[in-house]
Amino acid sequence: MLRVTNLKAAYGKIEALHGISFHVEKGEIVTLIGSNGAGKSTTLKALMRLSPPESPTVTGGDITFDGVSILGMPAHRVVSDIRMTLAPEGRRIFGNLTVMENLQLASWSRKGEDIGKEIDRIFELFPRLAERARQRSDTLSGGEQQMLAVGRALMTKCSVLLLDEPSMGLAPLIMYDMFRTLKKLNAEGLTIIVVEQNAHLALKVADRGYVLDTGEIIAEGPAEELLHRPEIKAAYLGG
Amino acid sequence: MEFFLQQCVNALQWGSFYALIALGYTLVYGVLRLINFAHGDVFMVGAYLAFFVSTSLLAPDGMFGFSREVVLVLTIPLTMILTSMVGVTLERIAYRPLMRKGAHRLYVVITALMCGLILENGNLALLGASRRTLPELLDKTVYHIGGIAVTNLKLWVVFTAVLVFFALYFIVTRTRIGMAMRAVSWDRFALPLMGIPLEQVVVFTFALGSAIAGLGGLLFAMSYPVLEPYMGAMTGWKAFIAAVVGGIGDIRGAFVGGFLLAFVEVMVAAFLPSTFRDLFAFSILLIILWQRPTGIFGKPLTTKI
Repeated sequence: MLRVTNLKAAYGKIEALHGISFHVEKGEIVTLIGSNGAGKSTTLKALMRLSPPESPTVTGGDITFDGVSILGMPAHRVVSDIRMTLAPEGRRIFGNLTVMENLQLASWSRKGEDIGKEIDRIFELFPRLAERARQRSDTLSGGEQQMLAVGRALMTKCSVLLLDEPSMGLAPLIMYDMFRTLKKLNAEGLTIIVVEQNAHLALKVADRGYVLDTGEIIAEGPAEELLHRPEIKAAYLGG
Repeated sequence: MEFFLQQCVNALQWGSFYALIALGYTLVYGVLRLINFAHGDVFMVGAYLAFFVSTSLLAPDGMFGFSREVVLVLTIPLTMILTSMVGVTLERIAYRPLMRKGAHRLYVVITALMCGLILENGNLALLGASRRTLPELLDKTVYHIGGIAVTNLKLWVVFTAVLVFFALYFIVTRTRIGMAMRAVSWDRFALPLMGIPLEQVVVFTFALGSAIAGLGGLLFAMSYPVLEPYMGAMTGWKAFIAAVVGGIGDIRGAFVGGFLLAFVEVMVAAFLPSTFRDLFAFSILLIILWQRPTGIFGKPLTTKI
């Protein structure tokens, strides 16, 4: 469904991805793991077609969705037409808006549709958000902010969800809760691409994984298999 | 006492002009963190556009046989639309290319200053230094309340400023596009991820701010019907200072700051030699900023990771 071929991306003159290829099929959970600076976030930003300077410029290769290149598409069209969105690193929720407003805003591309049901559904997934619906979202705790970041992404009615470090800064219990919820959403048909530093956790929930190192894919395979490969264990899973 | 009240009426009128311009500064700053220093000159362009629109509509040998009332009613929206196009054009040809290339904000601000100078001098070169006078579009009526004289125009000016403020407040706090504007001010990066075209929100912001400046220009030209290319410079600077004193980025701040500046100015001029006006007015504002560097409504920005 989503296919990346020989993708090269750069920030200015500095190349961050040196030609990576991978694919994601409908209904899968795919994880990209790797250490700091490997190019994981860069890959997600390139997929979303976000614009420089915060995001890289694609200098080679192609990204196709159902066989059609999306390289010429601006980010907001990737969200509204391809139905793919990103819950970015650091959550990036709109702190000056209430929880409810954050959710409403994300339904922008479906102007005029009744979104009451969808909001109820988000509150069902994350009951903590319902309690805080009228609160300014910068008053939320880190875990609640991550819930809002995912809830907000779901409000775009995405069929592909990219997640950048969803476990960052979360207490272990909340982190497991979050991944359980993602697994549940996946069972309902959501395709998920998740970037994680916590490789162990990511490989546990994912179907397949890719290991990135300094802008190149150095290993790939079913998650279960990667989890048991000695060299991956040594480098990314702490022995 | 009567003298004081009369001065209050004058201050309300001046405050309305400052507020109408300050709202545009604060809107653009709030959304883009950009101080659009050309905005005072957009106000000037608005006044000139009002002049051209109304004179061509009034032209006695022209194809339109409109009465002055109809001309006024048509001039208001036409001036606002044309002025907003000027603002949007500035954004499109001057600011957007810089922002796209990731230029530091300072360069964009300097570009805005240049755009202001281009508007002033472009006007001077095209239309010459001769002053122009807006035709009278409204019959003057003077009301006497106690010993105070108030013209109908003054009432309209103040009423319009208040109306614009509430309309703007409604747009920003209650509508979808207003929500998007507030979201951009917090995090431009995340906005496209919601499926929202960032540039559309930015264009709307410039259009709105410039339309209000155009309306201000029209009302100013009706009140002081002498137009010259530099009329927006000093008024624009003062409105900018009013926006900062109120807390730039907050529309309540721009509104309150505009009236505050006008009151200080008018009162200083009324009770002290008028050459002291700007000296005292700005010294008082300096003291306010000294106590509250973020302005009356401004909050220091904090980000939570």
